[in-house]
Parts: sequence; C-alpha cells; structure tokens
Amino acid sequence: MNARETAWRIFAGELNASSLEKKGEDEKSVSYVITPLGTMVNRVLVCGVLTEKENIGTDDEPMWKARVQDVTGSYFLNVGRYQPEAAAAMANLDTPSFVAVVGKVRTYSPEEGRVYVSLRPEKMMSIDGDTRNMWVLDAAESMWDRLLKLRKTVSNPDANANALIGMGLTAQEAEGTILAHEHYGDPDSSRYLSVLQSALRMLLPDRTIDLGLPEEVPDAPEEIEVEGGDNDSGMSALDKEDVILRLIEELDDIHSKGAPRAEIDRRAAMEGISEAEVEEISDSLMDKGLIYEPNLGYLRKI
Amino acid sequence: MNREELTPHVEELKRVLGDKISEEELLKELDAYLNVYHVDIMSAKRGILRKHGDVDLDTGSFVTGGAVVKKIGELTGSEMNVDILAKVVFAEKKNVQIKNSARTIISGILGDETGTASFTVWNGEDIELEKGAVYMFKNCYTKLWNDKVQISTGNRSTISRENVEISTPERQISYSSSVAKVADLKEGIGNVTITVKIVSVECRNIMVKGEPRVVFSGIAADTTGKVQFSAWKDFELQEGETVCIKNAYIRAWKGIPQLNFGDRSEVSRVDDTIGDIASAVDSRRTVGEIVRNGGGIDITVSGTVVDVRVGSGLIKRCPVCNRSILGTECMSHGTVEPVQDIRLKVVIDDGTGALSAIIGRELTEKLTGMTLKMAVDLSKARGETEAVTRAMADRVLMRRVTVTGNVMSDDYGPMMIVSSADDDKIDVPARAAELLKKVEEAIM
Repeated sequence: MNARETAWRIFAGELNASSLEKKGEDEKSVSYVITPLGTMVNRVLVCGVLTEKENIGTDDEPMWKARVQDVTGSYFLNVGRYQPEAAAAMANLDTPSFVAVVGKVRTYSPEEGRVYVSLRPEKMMSIDGDTRNMWVLDAAESMWDRLLKLRKTVSNPDANANALIGMGLTAQEAEGTILAHEHYGDPDSSRYLSVLQSALRMLLPDRTIDLGLPEEVPDAPEEIEVEGGDNDSGMSALDKEDVILRLIEELDDIHSKGAPRAEIDRRAAMEGISEAEVEEISDSLMDKGLIYEPNLGYLRKI
Repeated sequence: MNREELTPHVEELKRVLGDKISEEELLKELDAYLNVYHVDIMSAKRGILRKHGDVDLDTGSFVTGGAVVKKIGELTGSEMNVDILAKVVFAEKKNVQIKNSARTIISGILGDETGTASFTVWNGEDIELEKGAVYMFKNCYTKLWNDKVQISTGNRSTISRENVEISTPERQISYSSSVAKVADLKEGIGNVTITVKIVSVECRNIMVKGEPRVVFSGIAADTTGKVQFSAWKDFELQEGETVCIKNAYIRAWKGIPQLNFGDRSEVSRVDDTIGDIASAVDSRRTVGEIVRNGGGIDITVSGTVVDVRVGSGLIKRCPVCNRSILGTECMSHGTVEPVQDIRLKVVIDDGTGALSAIIGRELTEKLTGMTLKMAVDLSKARGETEAVTRAMADRVLMRRVTVTGNVMSDDYGPMMIVSSADDDKIDVPARAAELLKKVEEAIM
C-alpha cells in the first residue's frame, strides 16, 4: 500500500514519552515512532496554543522553531525551507493563539536510549477555541480506544499478531502494541487516565470528574524513561524543582538573556538530574507560572 | 561432508544400484560431486543413479531433476520447477503480442482438491486443453500476482492428459457460510447469507469470456449500507422487496465490494425488516473500515480536511469530454475552447486513515463560499489561478466536514467522488460525557 499515513490525534504527553522507533528499511518504506500506547505514528494532527515561535533563519530562508501546548505538554515544531506552506503560515500566526498543525513526526537521538520527538509541520492554520475543544475530545477518544487495545495485547502476552487481529485489532495496532509492550513493559494506566481526566475536566467544566486518581499525578509531560538512566538520585520531585529553580536564578545572573537550557542541563546532570527530568521539571515550573522562556532556549524566574 | 556422513547415502545408493558399482567407487563419485564440484546431495545422488543404472527416475527427461509434485493449495508462488496434476476448470486461447512478436497463449484456471489458481501456457500454439479434463503439468513455475499464485509453463514444460478424475472445491475462496451485513462485505469472501432490500434492479445483456449472458444488476441495501449486486440468474427480483440470499459471493470492482449470486444461490422473499431506505440506512464508515473492507456506494465519512491538493481551485475542462485540461489542448479532442470550472481535491483524515475526496463545483461553492464567478474575478485581479487555490485552501483546511459519495479503493488508498458535503457539527459536551461514562464504567 502506498496509502497516505493517518494523522493521529495524540497528546504531547504520550508522543513525547516515546523512545522507540521503527525505521523504514529503504527510501520507500515509512518510519514510525511507536508510542508507549503502541501507536505507530508517522503523521499527526494536533491542536493547541502556539506559545512561542522564533525564526532562527533569515527572512528569505526562514527556519522556524516553535512550541504548541496542549493539556498535557508541548509539541516542538521545526519548520524549514522544505515546508514552504507551513513556513508562510507560521510567519502570520500570533503567539499566543490556537493553532492546528498537520505534520510529520521526527526524532532526534543525541545518545543511545534517549529520544526527542519533534514535529515538522506540513500545514498550519489558526483555529478557534471550539475547534481546539473538538480536537481534545478526538484525542481523548483516540487515547481511550488505544489504551483498551494495548490492554488486549498486554493481557494476552502469548498472542501473536494474527491472534490479536482476530481479537479486533488492525494489523498495525497488533504490530505496534506488541513492540510497545516489549519495549516499554506494562503500561502505566494511571498516567493515561490522568490525561483523560484533565481533558474531560476541560471539556465538561460543570461536572465534578474524579477518576479516583491520586491528585499529585502531574499533567505535565511524563518524564522520558531512559533505559539504564539514572532517575534515582534520591531526591523528591519537589527537591529537584528547587534545585532547578536555584540553578535558573544563578545562571540568569551570569547570562543576560536568561539561563541557557544547555547550561542548566549540564549543571543539573552534576546534581544527578537527567536532561529528560530537567525538561519535565522546567515544563512543570512553567505551568505553575514560576518561570518563563524570555528567549527560545533560555529560562528565567518570574 | 566426511566419510561418516556419506555412509547412509552410499547405503541408499547401493540398495538401488546393487552390484553395478563398488562401494569404493560410489564413495569416490559422491565425494567428487559433493566436495569437488559442491553439488547438493540430492542432485549428486540423481547424477550417480543416472550414470550407473538404467534406473527409472520417474521421467525420461533430464530437466525434471529436482522437480517436486505439489497440490495447488501448497503452491507458494515462488516455485521454479514444479509438477502439478490438475483439472482445467477454464481455458481460452488468446493471440497476444510479446516483444513485438505474435504468440498464442492459453490462459485459464486450474483446480485440484486443494484449490484453484490461474495459469498461462506461453507456447499454446499446438496445445489443446479440454475444459474439465485432467492434465499433468510438468516443470512449471509459479509467481505471485496480487497475492495470488499464478502457474506458468515455459519452454521446458510438458503437458500430458491423465485419465483420472479430480473434484475441485466449489469456489475459489470458500469460508464456512456466514450471515453478513452490507458493512461486513469485502472482496473474496464466499458463501454469504445476507438479507437486503432491492433498491433498484435492471436486466442487462453482457458478454462474459466471449459468451452472451443475462445479468440482473442493481443496488440493494440493509441498515448498514448499500451495495451493488449482480444476479447471474433470473430470480425475478422486484424493486422494493426484501430478500434473503443464501450462498452469495463477493467480488470487487475498483475496490468496491459487490454482491454476486447465481445458480448455486437461493433467494427467498422475507418480511421487510429494513424499512425506508432513505432514513433507515446508515452508511457511515471510518476511513479505517474502508481501508480494510474496500469502498462502497453512498458512504458517509466525517473527518478533518488535512490537505488541499494540486488540481484544486480554478480549472479548465474540455467542452466535449469534460475532462480537466491544461491550456487549450485536450488529449482526445485537440485544441478546444476550454470551459472554466472550480473543484476541490482534498484529503480528509478521521484519525483512522486518510481519504482523497473530489468535490465538484456546486459543493465547492457551498463549502468555500466562493462561486465560479468570484474565482474567475479573483484570478483575473491577481493574474494567477493559484490565488484561487490559496483562498479556497484557507477556507477549507482544518475544517471538519461530513462527506457522502461513492468510494473506490486502490493501492494509493480510498477515493471518494463526493455527492454531498457539509460541516461536521459535533456535540462536544455530549460526546465528552459519553466518553467519561465509558471510562468510569471500565475502571470502577
């Protein structure tokens, strides 16, 4: 089949937690990111708030870096000269504003076991809040559906792809969930239920929604599980936040544009906090309104 | 292979050849075949048998060496040299041009107890195959075409009539009888029992493989959708009646599954359980369902416009054949006075797959709010037709739409010729509440 790849409606939290890829074997075959829920993603349709954009190229040859935030985290966008339509659209979009993005998923792996997921938009468009809400509903429904399918695979560990197809999965769902289960292990359902909870609370503001989850489960992107990584520095999440806040303050004094992310990463590593954790903590601090990003790649305390 | 490993083979050869050759010589021969010329053991043994004994190697021809006998059901489509004993289910001679030279080939269908496969005899000049007779096809090769095995004979092949009976299975693909709804139908399934209402029917005279036939074709429906049907026998079908069809089978045309029934099928009149076609038929599908089962007629899909493709906007058509043309040259009608038109070629994605949709002028005007006249004016004002395409893309991209039309399907995915289109209005709070209920029920 040479059919066009599906545009998945997928929350940033799930997409960014992906650390597994299936590379196409030759030029013609398609590469996929396999998310913790076993979805084989090549293209996405996401809606959210364009929170920042920066042209790091020139006016003639723009190279946009941008962030779009949904209820669970941020998508990282790179738009270059080979996406002229998206680049033209980007130039006219305001921050902050609701946008819809159709794009391809790209990964960057600076070292073994660590994967960063970004989007290369094909189309971008300004949308209204209602359209955004419809998308949140789509993404929540899609996530629930995929969570149930992953459960089928997890509860039938001996079933091969054909057996799973017999249970109602598509060939791609069977392949993806099997690979995901092998790679990520049993899924952390509470994490995805909490995403559903935040989405539903947003869509049904008048209802009291309690899925019986511990409230401290953050809505921020989940930390990127690094195989063999050192997440065990003995510090609690709050301790780590303090460390990062202190670092930002300290580094901001030295650099006029704010605390450079690369520098924060380096210093945090010395404190036993991984890059992935820094990403998560700084997102959470941003959500809490304690820090902001005065310039792309720099952080500052509010 | 060392001496020890060779021993069982030597023993085997000795049993066949007796005292025509000494054990020492046998060993030496085998050793030469295997270790000097690196021939595989089977070929080595055949070679020695041929050289030393007038042993009947079950054929007189050398090329049969290594050929295996297979049933049709066992064929994988990669056999280089295979013998097949099979009945000719159907065969016809054709004159074809191969690399600029005229050839007579025979093509048709072979069958045995395990299945059927199409075949081609590439040098069919002097060969006559009788329908229903059994033949031994020696030294054939097989290939896969559209996931189905094809048997071919070449220069080295022989065909000989065998005086045996073979019964072939009823149908090419035969699942156990299943009761199906229109939405379940997909190419290749057989032995289907289905209850449908006849929406329309007409009698047509057509030619099938050179023979005239009468077919009763039309549209039937149940509550899950509409389907085109062909009845190969006169069941006296009437518009508006509801029938239960037993032992129907499905063939696809342009990726659209079609219901077929004939001599082996039973048709009985039943009470109308379907009701009014216009209101009772729900032909909503996800793109994923279309990809799995094939296209269909009057299918409804809801999704988001994720791409507006080249060929959208202001276009020119040939006034004779209505095909879209570039400039003033029609491929079939030469230089013409083109007629201007607008249309949209979009990709609609519903999260389960992507559907190409072609939207004509009237619906394009409805969706974009831009009439043909406005498009022509805009194009003139800007001096380029692309301005129209961009303006239209701005109005439809990322829009949620519901479209209905006939959907064809091929390797490039499904494609709809849209017959009605509208904004897709969804009740977000209601659907969110529904999802919440599902989640709560599942975790409580």
